[in-house]
Amino acid sequence: MTGPLRVWSLPWALLYLRHEVLALPGRTLALLFVLFLLLFPLFSQDPYWLRVLTLTAIFALYAASWDLLSGYTGQVSLGHAFFFGLSGYTSAILGRETGLSPALTIPLGALLATLAGVLVGLPSLRVRGPYLSLVTLAFPIIATGLIFLFPRFTGGELGLSGLPRLGQSRLEEYYLVVVIFLISLLILWKLAGSRIGLLFHAVREDEAAVRMVGVNTVRLKLLAFAVSALFAGIAGGLYAHYLRVAGPDSLSLFNSIQPVIWSVFGGIATIYGPVAGTFLLFPILEILRVTEELRMLAFALLILLVMRFLPQGVVRGVLDRLEEVCPRCKVRNAFTRRHCRACGVELHLPAAKEVKP
Amino acid sequence: MGRIGTAVLWAVALLLGSGVSAQTLRIGVVGPMAFVQGEHTWYGATLAAEEINRAGGVQIGNQRYRIELIRVDTNEMTSVTDAATAVERAITAQRVDFLMGGFRSEAVLAMTEVAADYRKIFIITGAGLDGLLAGRVDRNYERFKYLFRVSPNKSSDLARTSLLLAAEVVQAVRQQLGIPRPRVAILAERAAWADPLVETAGRLFAAPPPQGYGAEVVGTWRPSATATDVTPELTAIQRAGAQVIFTVLSGPVGVPFGRDWGRLRIPAAPVGINVEAQQETWLRATDNLGTYVATLNSLAPGVAITPRTIPFISNFQARFRQFPIYTASGAYGALYILAEALTRAGTTNVDAVVRALEATDYTGATGRIVFDRTHDVTWGPGYTTGLGVQWVGGRMQAFWPRNWQVEGRVVSYAGVRPYELPPWVVEAWRR
Repeated sequence: MTGPLRVWSLPWALLYLRHEVLALPGRTLALLFVLFLLLFPLFSQDPYWLRVLTLTAIFALYAASWDLLSGYTGQVSLGHAFFFGLSGYTSAILGRETGLSPALTIPLGALLATLAGVLVGLPSLRVRGPYLSLVTLAFPIIATGLIFLFPRFTGGELGLSGLPRLGQSRLEEYYLVVVIFLISLLILWKLAGSRIGLLFHAVREDEAAVRMVGVNTVRLKLLAFAVSALFAGIAGGLYAHYLRVAGPDSLSLFNSIQPVIWSVFGGIATIYGPVAGTFLLFPILEILRVTEELRMLAFALLILLVMRFLPQGVVRGVLDRLEEVCPRCKVRNAFTRRHCRACGVELHLPAAKEVKP
Repeated sequence: MGRIGTAVLWAVALLLGSGVSAQTLRIGVVGPMAFVQGEHTWYGATLAAEEINRAGGVQIGNQRYRIELIRVDTNEMTSVTDAATAVERAITAQRVDFLMGGFRSEAVLAMTEVAADYRKIFIITGAGLDGLLAGRVDRNYERFKYLFRVSPNKSSDLARTSLLLAAEVVQAVRQQLGIPRPRVAILAERAAWADPLVETAGRLFAAPPPQGYGAEVVGTWRPSATATDVTPELTAIQRAGAQVIFTVLSGPVGVPFGRDWGRLRIPAAPVGINVEAQQETWLRATDNLGTYVATLNSLAPGVAITPRTIPFISNFQARFRQFPIYTASGAYGALYILAEALTRAGTTNVDAVVRALEATDYTGATGRIVFDRTHDVTWGPGYTTGLGVQWVGGRMQAFWPRNWQVEGRVVSYAGVRPYELPPWVVEAWRR
């Protein structure tokens, strides 16, 4: 090879692909997952499966947003549906009242959800742990009460229907949602891996220690609430326009608990864990429709089994079997390697012989 | 058998198979199948499909079609997303030609959006909110013309009927107990659908006759729809001196209400809407304390609303060993209405079937069904009215409409008996 490698040059991309992506099973799986999402319509345009994948992508974004707040920062939210539903309703009402398109109303809804995130984050400055969870739980209940209080404005029990579609066809909607999902995910992943992400981690582990080194934890926690609410809001807006209905169901307790289940199943504090959890559980629930009576039972048993044998979540559990951390430089390696790809240290050291006196 | 023989047999089987599938109408029966509402939707449709198929199927043009029902469990009580996806699966993967059913209004709204996307006819048989059709079919006809409702009557009509039932009880208190201005307590669950009914009832009870009932409203109590104890509310009602309790209860709170009311011997007669009291399991659920409770219903044992009512109830009970609830009679009627519309249309072309459905004039188990301009079932004398039922002597019996006079007509069904005030109410208030 002659000359320096440019960041966007093809050889650089290929080298990066070879050494940084294909070298690790986890990253290879992630690449395959992205390719699968982008290329799926080339193999099938079955509207039912496009719908399932679209909804899964929306919910995966929703679960990842919960993970940023609750997994990374430890501010466990049991009322995440508040941001999801609020954005959906805002987008629906704005669309109806002003005639704006979803391209504008969804970001505006997400923006309001961000402000609401700061509002919900304020109690976190005074209460912690289960008390904070209970406080967050109150917000969707209050929102539901308001919806029933102003039925002419919110549609009451029935919600608002006939919202404009996201795209002209199922395929267009699919690509729109998938692209927004992938970009959002990249932002969340980068944020979680940045210095701010490390501070989020630190807040979860020992907030007092973080404060002692001069970090403003108030600002950090509010930031976590705001960013998490922003992405939950984007998911909520997409959901409302995809389903074409913004109803009280979007604010239900069930909808608040779902991201928790998906995240714990996939592996919390990873961002990609909740995504994997959603992309496994949501389609499985669809496939289980063939056993109507046993559907929910089989689903619950599956979760119990996975939690029993992979308590840290599916992603962490599988990756720990496929990858190994180098004991010296901490770089991850494929389980097939005998020497670390970074420092060359032998990964499988022979067991030390017992010396008999 | 040689290879040629086997091949011929396969070819014949394939030909026959393709012939059969070409003459089959696939109807998706939609509902929360783990709940009684969904289960009865399926039962009602099954009974109708069996009868129609036994009679040779549906005649469409020159061909006869057999009905094949596809069970679509929507899980709609838990998840609206699940419900909408189930309908999309039914349309695209299970290839249904028509849809019927649905119970929870919010979920039905999302399901009907999917049906409208695919231009599939969807006959609602379980959800009652007005807004499912009003404001959609009339305002955006081209998109929503595929939606129809056979049962129940829309919420506002159910409210009208429940207030008519209350009028019967107020009248009974006035005449039998000699109280010229009966006192009424309103007990409504905390739910959005109950709000307009509470407001209307309050006004109507207090207004002087002939517009109102000339009664006195002593207060309104709003327990949770899932409350397990309504003793405080009932004690307060007793203290307020009410002779009538107007109930607006659709949730499980109906059972604790019936149990506490009977246990405490509250001297006020309950009437209105209590969905739990519509089911044949009512007395068992209330430890037999729910006797004398009155509620709006669509069917009652031995009451012949039309000549089809008793045969339907008998056949249903013989087949499923249960008394049918309104989703059963709705789905049963919906399938016959659809079959007749297909026959009249002479084609399966959706627009032609919609036009034929709009011209429906069908006498079913619960009354005469004619669709209005929003494709909703028409309420009133000569159409469907609903029934007022009361638990007396260990069984459900109807007390309304009995000599109901409206616009110069008298509406009455065979098998309807007079309303009976609970004996402890009579004992407490007789002057």
